[in-house]
Amino acid sequence: MSQAFTKAMARNIFYGGSVFFFLLFLALTFDSEATFPERDNRQNITESVAMGKRLWEENNCIGCHTLLGEGAYFAPELGNAYKRLGGREGIMAFIMSRPKDGVPGRRSMPQFNFTQEELEALADFLKYVSEINTADWPPNIQG
Amino acid sequence: MSDKLVAAQVRHYPPGDLAVWILIMAELLVFALFFAAYGFTRMGHVALFNQYQATLDRTAAVANTLALITASYFVVRAVAAIREGNSRHSARWLWAGVGMGVLFLFIKGGEYAEHLSHGINLSTNTFYMFYLSLTFFHFMHVIVGVIVLVILAVKVGQGRYSAAEHADVESGASYWHMVDLVWLILFPLVYVMH
Amino acid sequence: MQYKSQAVAKLYFIAAIGLFVGQILFGVILGLQYVIGDFLFPEIPFNVARMVHTNLLIVWLLFGFMGAAYYLVPEEAERELVSPGLAVLMFWVFLIAGALTILGYLLVPYSGLAQMTGNDLLPTMGREFLEQPTITKIGIVVVALAFLYNIGMTILSGRKTVVNLVLLIGLVGLAVFFLFSFYNPDNLVKDKYYWWWVVHLWVEGVWELILGSILAFVLIKTTGVDREVIEKWLYVIIAMTLITGIIGTGHHYYWIGTPDYWQWWGSVFSAMEPIPFFMMTVFAFNMVNRRRRNHPNKAAVLWALGTAVMAFLGAGVWGFLHTLAPVNYYTHGTQITAAHGHMAFYGAYVMIVLTMISYAMPMLRGRKAASSNRSQVLEMWSFWLMTVSMVFITLFLTGAGILQTYLQRYSDTPLPFMVVQEKIELFYWMREVAGVVFLIGLLVYIASFFVGTKEPEVVLEQTDA
Repeated sequence: MSQAFTKAMARNIFYGGSVFFFLLFLALTFDSEATFPERDNRQNITESVAMGKRLWEENNCIGCHTLLGEGAYFAPELGNAYKRLGGREGIMAFIMSRPKDGVPGRRSMPQFNFTQEELEALADFLKYVSEINTADWPPNIQG
Repeated sequence: MSDKLVAAQVRHYPPGDLAVWILIMAELLVFALFFAAYGFTRMGHVALFNQYQATLDRTAAVANTLALITASYFVVRAVAAIREGNSRHSARWLWAGVGMGVLFLFIKGGEYAEHLSHGINLSTNTFYMFYLSLTFFHFMHVIVGVIVLVILAVKVGQGRYSAAEHADVESGASYWHMVDLVWLILFPLVYVMH
Repeated sequence: MQYKSQAVAKLYFIAAIGLFVGQILFGVILGLQYVIGDFLFPEIPFNVARMVHTNLLIVWLLFGFMGAAYYLVPEEAERELVSPGLAVLMFWVFLIAGALTILGYLLVPYSGLAQMTGNDLLPTMGREFLEQPTITKIGIVVVALAFLYNIGMTILSGRKTVVNLVLLIGLVGLAVFFLFSFYNPDNLVKDKYYWWWVVHLWVEGVWELILGSILAFVLIKTTGVDREVIEKWLYVIIAMTLITGIIGTGHHYYWIGTPDYWQWWGSVFSAMEPIPFFMMTVFAFNMVNRRRRNHPNKAAVLWALGTAVMAFLGAGVWGFLHTLAPVNYYTHGTQITAAHGHMAFYGAYVMIVLTMISYAMPMLRGRKAASSNRSQVLEMWSFWLMTVSMVFITLFLTGAGILQTYLQRYSDTPLPFMVVQEKIELFYWMREVAGVVFLIGLLVYIASFFVGTKEPEVVLEQTDA
């Protein structure tokens, strides 16, 4: 015989299920927030790091790079750039070395003409990012 | 068994609303995946799992198992009563089921309070991560189950269902039995199995 | 068309298609930049082109959703829009704001745009998909509020169907979760955590409600199946969507500094995310098979079925491919993600908007139910050209992604990013060819609006059971 299947019950499950799982999500978010201080390296967010993050954003670096694996996939991962490029000096030297008109036939990072203070802020930001506990991601130094 | 009862059972099998059964299947799948993940992870950390399993309050868990089974029995009686058209008895059994569900929540809440006072949380270690995830996810289901039973008890008490028309009661009961069933797997898996 | 005010939808649909063309042109440019690294450099660097590509997609889909809402809400509510004038006004506000933003991307260096628009006051720019200047974001909120007022009042004062209510919930959710785009702390982990509340809870949450309700509307109209049946399945499907999708957000919380347990929560729930998409596919085919009449607009039915299939493949299957934490550890942020993103967006959201346009446009242009046969044939050609080329784009990117994952992440001697990029160049070339075919498909699609306009429309006799 035919099975009962009512719109009212389907509706109840939609509303009930949505509220239930959103509350569960909020509970997990609450727990995550409590755990963040142990992982997110917040003690090292200096003014320079904050400035570096702003520069990171205002030059749309995420439009080519990934940061902790999120972003565009056109240029290398930068979450571990601090380790891969050899610390702050390596990062600053690389950013400064980019040719203004690019490299014929190849991908090349633009020349942003940053001041020394800005370069240091970006390096500080990438150093801070590299010290976030990312559960051992990326798998190796190549990012 | 009266003819009327048989007829009612034939008319709706499985009992209740198909939408609830889709939900039940989905929920069982989630729990099954979580149980499988638990078993898989445990294989790699048997010593750790055994060590921290010993810290759990097994007496409380046994009491809770009895509470849920009793609640399920009461719900069965409630469905049987409404199939006979006996709203008064059905509502009484449903309230009894609510009582057992609330008892479960109290006992489990006590366990959580104990864990919290020791500073245990999801990130303490892998065992507690699974233990807390599984039991808390189930805990929330018990809360929903109790709410469902309360709503049904009120509506049954108001005489809104009859021997002929009580699909909602069967739906709610099916959901409750699912919550019970999950605990019957969760309890031995997390509290007992070495 | 039963209500005069439905006509405003036409503006939105035309704008959507226009911006769609822009999006694809920039997609082809991006594809070329993948293989000819200095193409258009330094005039249009990759990041600018990508921003235009993704932002145009979002904006044209929003135009499409709004157009769809303006078309279907009056018909479902059985009354005129509360304010057609407001709808037209908001159209121009949104179009001009959108055009200015895109021009800003293209004509001013991004940091200059940030300065001009006072990003310092409330910094929200420079995060993936949320690159819009803060002022544009505020504009989006204003347009969304006016839109919600118009739609909401119409729905609440008219016949309240499930299609309308689900659509309204989806649209309100869209507006609410967008507010998280204004939260941008210095703490990168928190920034990323709540960034996903916009991105994930949009595309794997509330947008799916919009998708579901539009699909349900078109199926009700084209199959003649009882509304009750379609509506209850709509509820069940979107219930499954949110049950799996909300905690499924956890699949983005594996490697960004969030607690380790998200690897389990995210894997378990996102492993189930294909289920609602699969249900949607079965549902759509079932309804069409049980149809009580043959609708003369065959193209619209094709788009509807195509949406169900491609959403399942793109969002469901390609999502599942890399959603489990142990797999994602190696594939996170590779071309695999790009492959999934392309087919999921095309299959779920591009196609549902094109479904709605296909269904509504003939009526908006003064026909009874459908275009001429010649126009429909061309439209169906464009369906296959775009869909098949998108399948190939996805396959080529998946090939690139698998190789990239192996060479850069998995092998015993991992190679640097740029070395790997050169090794997988062949896949990028093939993707570019498929991209050009997609563009041709899009041009065919546009042509379908201009052929056979003088010919009579397709008429099929009713086969009422």
